[in-house]
Parts: sequence; C-alpha cells; structure tokens
Amino acid sequence: MLEVTGLCKSYKGNKVLDELSLKASPGECVGIVGSNGCGKTTLLSILAGAVRADRGSILFHGREAIGNSKIFYEEAAYVPQENPLIEELSVRDNLSLWYRGSRMRMEEDLESGAAAMLGIREMQKKTVSTLSGGMKKRLSIACALSNHASILILDEPGAALDLECKADIREYLEKYRKNGGTILLTSHEMPELSLCTVMYVLKGGGLRMVESGLGEKELIEMFHRG
Amino acid sequence: MFAGAIALLFLAGAIALLAGRALYGDTAMGRVLVGVVLPKEDGLARQMVSMISSLDSVNSVCDFQYLEREESLEKLQNGELNAVMDMPKGLIQGIIDGSNPTVRILLPEDAWLESRIFRELTEAGAQILGASQAGIYAGNELYLQKDLGARLPELERDLNQIFLSYSLPREDYFRHLRVSATGDVEVPVFYGISAYVLFLLLLSIPLSGYLLPFSPVMQRKLALAGVGSISRIFGRYVSLGSLFLVMTTMAGALMKGGFWLLEKLPKGLGFPISEFFIKKEIGVEDGILSGMLALLILVLVCLGAAALAVVIFQAAGSLLGGIMLLFLVVTAQHFLAGGFLPTIFLPEVIRYLAPGMPSAILMAGVQMALTKAWSLAVTAKLLLMLLVCFLLTVWLERKER
Repeated sequence: MLEVTGLCKSYKGNKVLDELSLKASPGECVGIVGSNGCGKTTLLSILAGAVRADRGSILFHGREAIGNSKIFYEEAAYVPQENPLIEELSVRDNLSLWYRGSRMRMEEDLESGAAAMLGIREMQKKTVSTLSGGMKKRLSIACALSNHASILILDEPGAALDLECKADIREYLEKYRKNGGTILLTSHEMPELSLCTVMYVLKGGGLRMVESGLGEKELIEMFHRG
Repeated sequence: MFAGAIALLFLAGAIALLAGRALYGDTAMGRVLVGVVLPKEDGLARQMVSMISSLDSVNSVCDFQYLEREESLEKLQNGELNAVMDMPKGLIQGIIDGSNPTVRILLPEDAWLESRIFRELTEAGAQILGASQAGIYAGNELYLQKDLGARLPELERDLNQIFLSYSLPREDYFRHLRVSATGDVEVPVFYGISAYVLFLLLLSIPLSGYLLPFSPVMQRKLALAGVGSISRIFGRYVSLGSLFLVMTTMAGALMKGGFWLLEKLPKGLGFPISEFFIKKEIGVEDGILSGMLALLILVLVCLGAAALAVVIFQAAGSLLGGIMLLFLVVTAQHFLAGGFLPTIFLPEVIRYLAPGMPSAILMAGVQMALTKAWSLAVTAKLLLMLLVCFLLTVWLERKER
C-alpha cells in the first residue's frame, strides 16, 4: 500500500509538484500521464527515493519513507526510463552489481523468481552491449526487483522498444499485478496504459484522477483542460 | 588513440623546448655575481678577498663587486646579485687566532642555480679552512711540546703549502657534490621522474571511457543503493590509482630487471651505470620502514594523478572534450612545472607558479620516494592536491545536477 500526501518539489523556484496526493493498493496498476515536462519523472524519482521532496509524506505499508532511505530501499523497485546498466559487463555481472540479496537468493531468482520470469537465465552469459533494447529493459526490471519489493515503479517502460518486447514486458507486468504487486507507471502509449486500473493526469503540479479506458483523444483533451 | 597521444606529446615537448630556449636563450648558466661588503679601513680583508677571487675554482665562475651594505642588499633584492658576502671586522686576525668571526653570506630567498653554486663553494671553503686550522694548531702544539717554538713561523708557512697541496686533492675523494639545474637529483633521474609523471597523467587517455561523468540515471540508481557522489569519486580514485600503482610496479620491475642485466654485462660497459642509479639514487641499504614510506608516497602520487584525471573529465563532460582537455592541461602544466625544461631556465613568473603545478607536486613526491629524503611539506602538498581535486570534482558534479 502506497499513500502520498502533500508532496511538494520545486526546481529553481519553479513548482513541479504542488501538494500532490496519491494512493495505490496491492494489485493495482496506477498510470500517470501528462504532457512532456509536467513532472512525471520527478514524481516517480521521489517515490523511488532517488530525489528528495521539499515537503510531504510518503507511506509504504504505513511506514514513513521521507527521511528514511532504508524504507525506499526495501519497498520500492525503480525502473528508470534509461537503463542503468554497464554495457561492457555481462548480464549476470550487471544483475550481481544491482542485486540486493545473497548470492544464493540470486540463484533462486534466476531459477524461479522474477529474473526467471523475465528470461534472464537464458541470456546471463551475454554481454549487455550485445542485447536488444527489450532484453536490456527486462534486465533492468530484474535488477530493480532484486529487493522483492511490493511496489514497482516504471518510467516509460516501453519507450524505444519493438512491439514484441513491449508485449513481453506488458505480459510480465500483468503477472506481477495479479500476484498482488502494486505498479506505478508513466507512459505515452495506449497499450501500456490499458494495463492501468487507475489513471491520473499530472498537470500544474497536482494529480487528477481520470476514468481508465479513455481513448487517446480524450486523454489529450484532459491534458489541455484547465 | 594512444599513438596519436604519443605523437602529440612529442610535438608538445618540442614546442616546450623551443619555447624555453626562446625565453632564456644561451644564458642558461651565467656567472655568479657576488657583492662583497668590506669593513671600513680593513686593507687585509680586501687583500684576502682579492686573493680568494683570483683562485681558479672561484675565478672561473664568480665575479666579485665591492659595494656598500645597503647597495648590495638592494641589488640582491632586485636580482642583480646572486649572493652577498658581508665581511666582519678583524677577519684575518680572527682566522689567525682561531676565533673565526662569521662571514655572513646572504642568498636570495629562492636561491637559483648561481646562488646554489656559490653556497656550495663557500661551504667547501669553510670546511677546508677548518681542517687547515686544525692541522696548523696540531703542528703548533707539537713544536711547543718539543721546545721548537722559535721555528713556528717556518712550520706555519710550510704547513700551509703542504696541507693545501694534499687537502684539495683528498677532498675530491670525499666530496662529490654536483650542483645541477635539476635540483637534488642527476639529470637522467630528473627526466626519468618527469617522464614517469607525464606517462601517469596521460595514461588516463586510454581509460577515458570509464572516466566520463556518471549519467543521471546511474547516479540515481547508485544513490538508491547508498552510493553517493563522495563514494563514487573515491571509488574512481581507488580504481584508477590502483591501476597506476600496478603500472608503477611494472615500470619499477622493468627498471630493476634492466639494472640486473646491466650488472651481468662486462664491468666496463654495464656496471658503472647500474652503480650510479642503484647506490646513489635509490639506495640498496634501505630498511623496511623506509620502503613502506616510499610505497605510501607512491600511492599518494598515483592517487593524485588519478584525482587530476577525474576532475578534468568531470569538467569536460564528454569523451572527446575530456581527452583534449586532459592532454592540454597535462602538457601545459607539465611545462610550467619544469617537467620539460627545469624551472631554472624559465622566466621568473613561471618559477613562482611552478611549485603549485600538479606535475611539480607529483615529481617532488616521486623524487622523495626514490631518494628517501622525507619531507613533510611535499607530503602535505600531495594531500592538499588530492583534497583540492576531490572538492572540485564534488562541486562540478553537484553543479551539473
């Protein structure tokens, strides 16, 4: 369960997030949409603990995370838009680098956990620079999920991926959600947004809930509506 | 890329040499200009100075000028003199009776080559004088014990002649001091150190891919894993510094291997070179403690070189920019530090800037590790260089965020 209240963030006097509030329950997929530069990446970075909020409260399962980075570390799995992978290393080395657990637990994950579901085991000996964009994204998700977090935060997961990869990622996210995980994602693509059970438009530093299942035109109208 | 860097390096070296020649011309080592301040109405002192100035060893390098005290000090401050000899009253009488009044030798604050030569000349002269006096006093005492007091003047005259004819050649066996523009080390060692420091600093070019600033995504992910900017920069220092240390060890092993081979050569060919480097410059009799200290200083040198490379790449922000900036900064400051031409051959402004250049600090560190002439000031400079580079890198990284 994620509960955000009164979140504020400014950059050089420019308010990006203004008293923003949000709730996400287990089994929910929350989509955040908005025009470019509206603050989606900033919001997700704050929820992942990578950027500090100026003010507000973030509760993960009732535990306050602001001022306690350990809670972010334990509860949130963050997949940024760009892959934080070291291209010269192998898939296995990258997983080892970011893995938050013992070696034995990593082997279990490769056998039957999130890494196995994402197909990491089959490509673990490959060098990252030789992987396709979709494979890198899967590895990136596997690295993020190494803490077995219950809240998965993804910043445009399908950006720059081919159709097949996008479909693979969607399939995995659907499984994750059905297993009781919470997903927060930003996207500009309708097939990805179709996964969302709850959807918000981010505008003027605040969130406005919109019906899920809206078409592209209606969403664009929401971006421009006051 | 590496071949290009070497070609550019040679080009820069040639430019530096030509620039040095243009700046200093053929007057690399002028005559030593010495101001002499004589006590008023002391004809004997003037006679003695004129005798000293006519000695071959002095006459070949020194020019004496007789001046008033104020004028001589002014000329020393203006750089028109390399040294001032302030003679006390009753100097000759004092030498004869053994009270030896002090002759004050004034040298400029930053004693350059000419001043250093004069300092060595006066120190050698004082040593010979002391030994001569001891010989004469011993002879005097012996004659008095044997009731030969009447023959003392004859003894002193003969001893003076005989003693000097022996003492100067004997001195040559014990005193091997060479004043060089390269400071306390021989020219080949100086350029060896300079080349090593330059190689260390340019070694970052093939590693430039790893020295680029971290991407914002990588920074965020590392921050989430508890690795902040300070840890990241420190990590780079340690990894790059370790690599430099490995290279240093390999270079050291090659050098030792080279010496071992030289020792296996026939004596006339290989042995003298090996002896010169090993016994006089590196010191085979060193203990464990001094070896550990030398290693510690070399670690600081390697970390310093790594810190400089990291801050340059952080400032440049891109691969090509980083390589260009590294090359320009390294070669320019190496020239200013006197790495291509000793600072003695460079204009005064550069001489004052030189000690603050990273290459000068690193070279002083390597020289200290080799000669085991421990200096707290050099160690402090190495640490300060690390700190300044570190703070600059942190500031640049935070500024870019």
